[in-house]
Amino acid sequence: MKLRVRINGADHELEARTDESILDVVRRELGLLSVRETCGIGVCGACTVLLDGEPVSGCLLLAPLADGREITTVEGLGGDDPVQQAFSDAHAFQCGYCTPGMILTAKRLLEETPQLTEDDVRAAMSGNLCRCGSYVKIVEAVLQAANA
Amino acid sequence: MHEPEWLAPASLEEALALKAERTDATVVAGGTFVGILVNQHLLAPTAFLSLGGIRGLRFVAEHEGELRLGALATHRAVELSPLVREKWPALARAFSLVASPRVRNRATVGGVLGDADYASDPPSMFVALGARVVVQSRHGAREIPAEELIVGYYETSLAPDELIVEVIVPGGPHRAAYRKFRTRSHEDRPSVGVAACARDGGLRVVVGAVAGRPQYFPELCTGEPASIAQAYAEAIDPIGDISGSSEYRRRVIAVEVRRALEEIAA
Amino acid sequence: MSDPRATGSARYAEDFELPGMLHARIVRSLFPHARVVRVDASAVPESCIVLTPDDVRDLSPYGCQIEDQNVLAERARHVGDPVAAVAAPTPEQAEEAVPLVEIDYEQLPAVFDAVEAAQPGAPLLHETAAAGGAAAYFAMRPQPGTNICHRFRIRHGDVDAGFAEADAIVERMYRIAGAQHAHMEPHACVAHWDGNRLELWTGTQTPFSMRDDLATIFGIPPEAIRIVSLPMGGSFGAKTFVRTEAIAAALARKAQRPVKLVLPRSEEWQTLNRHPATVTVKLGARADGTLVASQTTCYADTGAYADCGPGVAQKMGFAAPGPYRIPNVRVDAYCVYTNLAPNGAFRGYGQMQSTWARERALDTLAEQLGLDPVELRLRNIVRDGDVYCTGETLHDVRFAECLEAAAAAVRWSEGRRGKGIALVMKGMQTPSRAAIAIERDGDDYVLRCATTEMGQGAKRALSLEAARLLGVDVARIRFPDPDTSLVPYDTRTTSSRSTYMMSRALAEAVRDPRGYGEIRNEGGLDPDTGQGIASTHWHQGAAAADVEVDEETGKVTVTHLHTTTYAGRVVNRLGAELQTEGSMIMGLGTALFEEVAFEDGQVINANLSDYATPSFADVPTRFTYELIEEDGADVHGLGETALPPVPPAVGNAVASLGIEVDELPLKPETVLAAMKVRV
Ligand SMILES: Cc1cc2nc3c(=O)[nH]c(=O)nc-3n(C[C@H](O)[C@H](O)[C@H](O)COP(=O)(O)OP(=O)(O)OC[C@H]3O[C@@H](n4cnc5c(N)ncnc54)[C@H](O)[C@@H]3O)c2cc1C
Ligand code: FES
Ligand code: FES
Repeated sequence: MKLRVRINGADHELEARTDESILDVVRRELGLLSVRETCGIGVCGACTVLLDGEPVSGCLLLAPLADGREITTVEGLGGDDPVQQAFSDAHAFQCGYCTPGMILTAKRLLEETPQLTEDDVRAAMSGNLCRCGSYVKIVEAVLQAANA
Repeated sequence: MHEPEWLAPASLEEALALKAERTDATVVAGGTFVGILVNQHLLAPTAFLSLGGIRGLRFVAEHEGELRLGALATHRAVELSPLVREKWPALARAFSLVASPRVRNRATVGGVLGDADYASDPPSMFVALGARVVVQSRHGAREIPAEELIVGYYETSLAPDELIVEVIVPGGPHRAAYRKFRTRSHEDRPSVGVAACARDGGLRVVVGAVAGRPQYFPELCTGEPASIAQAYAEAIDPIGDISGSSEYRRRVIAVEVRRALEEIAA
Repeated sequence: MSDPRATGSARYAEDFELPGMLHARIVRSLFPHARVVRVDASAVPESCIVLTPDDVRDLSPYGCQIEDQNVLAERARHVGDPVAAVAAPTPEQAEEAVPLVEIDYEQLPAVFDAVEAAQPGAPLLHETAAAGGAAAYFAMRPQPGTNICHRFRIRHGDVDAGFAEADAIVERMYRIAGAQHAHMEPHACVAHWDGNRLELWTGTQTPFSMRDDLATIFGIPPEAIRIVSLPMGGSFGAKTFVRTEAIAAALARKAQRPVKLVLPRSEEWQTLNRHPATVTVKLGARADGTLVASQTTCYADTGAYADCGPGVAQKMGFAAPGPYRIPNVRVDAYCVYTNLAPNGAFRGYGQMQSTWARERALDTLAEQLGLDPVELRLRNIVRDGDVYCTGETLHDVRFAECLEAAAAAVRWSEGRRGKGIALVMKGMQTPSRAAIAIERDGDDYVLRCATTEMGQGAKRALSLEAARLLGVDVARIRFPDPDTSLVPYDTRTTSSRSTYMMSRALAEAVRDPRGYGEIRNEGGLDPDTGQGIASTHWHQGAAAADVEVDEETGKVTVTHLHTTTYAGRVVNRLGAELQTEGSMIMGLGTALFEEVAFEDGQVINANLSDYATPSFADVPTRFTYELIEEDGADVHGLGETALPPVPPAVGNAVASLGIEVDELPLKPETVLAAMKVRV
């Protein structure tokens, strides 16, 4: 099917199958490789994208469900986004595999709740897994971005 | 592999017509449950029937004192709704304990009932609150008590041409609690979920995640918390899986039911 | 501009591609032990290449320590053993081809428990106990006619006489479940043949071992193989030695095209896990707490193939006595084949298992003697210049300092209910070698070395160290991905040795006019007596935990977790912190819930929902650590030190409430069962 979707600020018409995930489509069609599959079952958040600004699991989102909507990946944040900057400054990663999903989740969290406590961050981000265990510094980064 | 057809009705009428005609189609609401099955190649349907285009089924509203949740309202919408938080706080809590915000942004009220997954939280809470599920086909709508919707593992009492359109939760003064017991990570599904609600002198206790359907025994819902809890533990034959053996779950049921009852008594 | 990891521009092995490449999938055994009698690929479409046992008959068996594994199994020894493979133009086509390969099996008796498998009469996995492989750095002691592929012993003093002197003796059996690395990026590689030269891009911690093993398999000289180790999205020991690379290379040879192989998540559990173990500890002490004898028997379940299991069992064994003065020590460690998926290197490398057992036993002993567990440890703790049971003299010893700091962190002296403490003494691979070359390129310096990057920050640490030694800005140091055709030989990036060994080699290279530096650490142990040098350098640390136990459900909540580790000179502060935090969190997973579950040899939780790993919300609200630094001291690797002491600190905290659990993980169910026998 033809998928009309706005991705990182640009309108696209993409070729997609109805039974594939948006994760596969953005990787294959647009080379947006920051969106990665780890669990493939919605648990880990490595595949997080923002769908109309809300984080969702790219691995679970059947491509047609994105039709007519807007997708943001970490590539779309540009690089100078305060959340990206905070992650860099706090060194909130090791291998970095989970980082794009963490940043997108934090991005939305900060829009929703500008005044954050450590507990808020942990609760809101708990569904994003980091096997390297960079959690402590990720919380620091998000709080840092909140205060930026 | 053949590419499944994508049926995207724009109205409920159209959706019900398609539901009747296309018995081969898999219903997609938020798609979080279907997405796993498709992604893991456990499901390869000939067609998807997507409900996403139906306007007017996303409501979270109060009507004549009752809470009405459209089948397409997301978990997130229920959890964050000031109305639900104020008047049905235990329900808001049960929804807030499901998975991550990422999943709750997509997962719907119709989906968590329709997928009839045993390891779920909200269905038991709906049963305890005495909710009714409005289901509809081309021929009309009917209401079924929530406890009669899920009948076994991944199995509902819906007729092949029916869709869930709404859930109605009675209002009025009540005290309710939801307890989710996980044995491993905080991100786990429940090993045992207990929902309880006291209203008008009556009590409904429901245990989820331990059997094919939420476990509700009206005849056991009188007495002291500890004795009700013990009676539930004896009446249920819990499954054993990765998040707890059958024997262990029985122990936890006795504890968590009592705690839920103490919570609503407090 | 932000770090590439924050902008989404970081690239991993999984992203590597070559024009015209095919995509591979592995066809795996459905049975734990079975002879493959027929492979019929006639239903597979022509566009696919199928690799069957017939195609690999000319290839030699391999194994980093014992050459017991074939590229494809004609006798499958575990559920998931590769018996065939397919390559197709797209990943989807490859996946669809897998069920079209028809395989007939003849089932054989199987065994799933290491202690059982070690007994005479158990079904044998490998008829002949194979000899040591090229990369075995110690003498192998296979026990012919049994499933024991390596036996390691320490004989020091006279344990019988020691126990005869003891006023108190504790003897208990401990069980530790298997775990899955669950690195977020799956195993991924691309193989390509250029005539008789093999090129391979892969995420591996061991590029040179990989090269040497592939040379053995394909019967070509190591120089005809080029391995490029690409950055990894986590490894924790999983991306070591040959995993999927031989199959990819064999497919590429047959296809005459490059082949890419990325493991589906569920197949990770069939590829490599952590050794489940059964460890029996017997400790004897005088009434005043002085330890007089220690006896340990370890069974490390290495699964269907040895992999580096002999090394794991040996380390489990030589670290078992721990940092205590004990005049009489006896250790017997066995590496045992079973029909489970192979087990191999995992952060902590065998030492987590024996540390759990010993540190739990010490607390039980303290209880029996009516002594404070910290007191008991301090009374026996090794000090600078002490001689370990292997005969080596210990230097730069900081155990007492670590222990006291950890105890203070949880306010031990204010009451110890709900609190627990544990020490770790972790060895580093010995002997080993590290080499580095520094090249000038204009104003820049290029580091050529085999140290690989998996998120542990080794590249950053070495670049900072190089900049410091060369007196230049770190921006002028370049550190390309290790390529075996360009970098000098190195043993491997494992056992937290990279920063330690490489930083020393680097210092040599800076001094050397040709810019070449090489460091060797010499040593090794006699496998029959355990005498020699186990480790030229020991990692030292302590953990302390404060817990609450729900007495009705057995659920343990860690309210405070602390570790103190000896860091020596810290090169990369942030990296050291992250490694410590990561180790502690992984240790918590091991302590509380991580477990590979089997039914009839089949993993039943091979996905990241049924196999839970720690999340943000699982990190205790009080989560603290300290790194003891020493200017001018050696650089200590910190990749793993903080992991092994965490489970016993938690277990001991639970025991302080009268609940003695001998088994890991401390699942609520296990804890509740232990409460029933509470004293
Ligand atoms: C990582 C993860 C963790 C989870 N953890 C939890 C947890 O802890 N607790 C918990 O309760 N749940 C948990 N879930 C389950 C989650 O709640 C369900 O996946 C979700 O509710 C399904 O809703 P959906 O709208 O996405 O359903 P979909 O995937 O769209 O639909 C699923 C099925 O439901 C039926 N269906 C959907 N809508 C209707 C309708 N209107 N009428 C009739 N039938 C319908 C159809 O049969 C359909 O195939 C988890 C899920 C994931 C991915
Ligand atoms: S890959 Fe989608 S949530 Fe893990
Ligand atoms: S930094 Fe490696 S998974 Fe998070």
